[in-house]
Amino acid sequence: MVNINYIHSFIIALLSIVEYNLDIMVYLDFAATAPLIADARRAMREAEEKFYANASALHTPGHLAMNEVEKARELLAQVINAEPEEIIFTSGASESNNTVIRTFEGHQIETSPLEHHSIIEAAKVCHGDKLPKLYSYMLANNETGEILDLEAIKKKSAKSQAPESSELFDAKNDWGKPLVTERRGAYLHSDLTQALGKIPVDVKKLGLDYATFSAHKIGGPIGVGALYVRRGVPLKPLIIGGNQENKRRGGTYNTVGIVGFGAALSKLWTEKSWEIYDTKVRKLRDNLANRILREIPGSSLNTDLTRGKSLPNILNVSFRAAEGESIQLYLDAEGIVVSTGSACAAGDTKPSHVLMAKTGDAEVAHSSIRFSFGPENSATDIEKVMAVLPGIIDRLQKISTIKM
Amino acid sequence: MENQDWVYTEKVKDHFLNPRNYLMGDEAAFVADAVGIVGNPVCGDQMKMYIKVDDDVISDIRWKTYGCASAIASTSALSELAKGKTLDEALKIDAKMIDDYLGNLPKHKFHCSVLGHDALREAITNYREKTAKS
Repeated sequence: MVNINYIHSFIIALLSIVEYNLDIMVYLDFAATAPLIADARRAMREAEEKFYANASALHTPGHLAMNEVEKARELLAQVINAEPEEIIFTSGASESNNTVIRTFEGHQIETSPLEHHSIIEAAKVCHGDKLPKLYSYMLANNETGEILDLEAIKKKSAKSQAPESSELFDAKNDWGKPLVTERRGAYLHSDLTQALGKIPVDVKKLGLDYATFSAHKIGGPIGVGALYVRRGVPLKPLIIGGNQENKRRGGTYNTVGIVGFGAALSKLWTEKSWEIYDTKVRKLRDNLANRILREIPGSSLNTDLTRGKSLPNILNVSFRAAEGESIQLYLDAEGIVVSTGSACAAGDTKPSHVLMAKTGDAEVAHSSIRFSFGPENSATDIEKVMAVLPGIIDRLQKISTIKM
Repeated sequence: MENQDWVYTEKVKDHFLNPRNYLMGDEAAFVADAVGIVGNPVCGDQMKMYIKVDDDVISDIRWKTYGCASAIASTSALSELAKGKTLDEALKIDAKMIDDYLGNLPKHKFHCSVLGHDALREAITNYREKTAKS
């Protein structure tokens, strides 16, 4: 007699082969989101059970939750060389960026077309002609990994015209404190979301007044970020109606998320993750770049591999006559996960604004693929990519209307 | 669309992963009676249709595409729809027919990537102009 259970488990086994297997995929989209690290998952589970109380509450469970929030704050302060009170927790980088830009509503805002949309779009809405001026430049680019010379921006901002009086910021406001204590030429903000953990980040050395961070790019959870606000500089809260974060950001503390962020920061700090990126990860990235250039006709790099010119974990490549979304989805069908600057993938009508700004060539932008690595990747992953990528590109080039 | 692990329907995935009637490599490998082209690589999509005509019927068809997955799948689907049709019937193929055949593409994809029928119409017009002259 046939054992029904046996058949059942056989069918389940078959199904699991047919279904997408997350364990065997090669994940190369760390710059979009890094997978949650085990330390963060463990810490968050514990926090869900133990630290569920409202961290603003005066009772003991509330205090215990707040202690966890403060631990994470101290860690981030340590990692970026700031004071704990200079750090505000937010829902992520987009909120942090918006908070800074909106503080300068009606003021002169200078930024670049290479920035994240949360900077560009907010600056479009808030830009005016008042002084002091805000400069907002990211340290490392999302798509190409390019590291920017913030020193040059700093020098430029120092020469910027100072307002005649600081009244613009001193005006009495609704959220409690006077906004400004300091009169100076200009303020400098940097989105450090991609840079954190990949290269050493020191807000004092960089001379920043504001800096943006996100947990999910370093192995923490999605939905948590932070904003560094140098002591004494103005800040207009984006969310009012709560006393949290010294009235600088209303809303109940996301204790579990912040604990996860803290766990990721702790690992990053104890491991000196930037050293791992500079050695192991850089080697993987450079190997893939060199193999692509050598083995795939029509390939060109949009990332400068020179040390100091780009983050060691990002590689952006264009493949002539092959379109990015198609490359991305053929790779996806092979279990290899990457991203593209092609318009189609984003559901947009225009390709990557970053690659357009860098190259001015829509075809290069449409044909681009970003490989972004994490410490979890290995040389085997590169082998797996190179086992299928040349064939995918060759086929796309051969059916393309664009001649090679 | 529930529980789907892919951005497109199974039919689109099939035509993307296993495209029909594509023309690989050198164009000279397929001796066409007429050719039509639509789109622009700068916009991210371009399609070229190659047709063979016998007794006013599309007896064979090939295509080339530079574009996203739905551009490749929709051109492949179009080639299947057009094959064996009379020229008048083939002229009636529109974006909606291709979309229906594939089980609906995402809305934002529809306008930019379902263009192949215009290339086919151009090929048919070219064919008729050519045969009218001779």
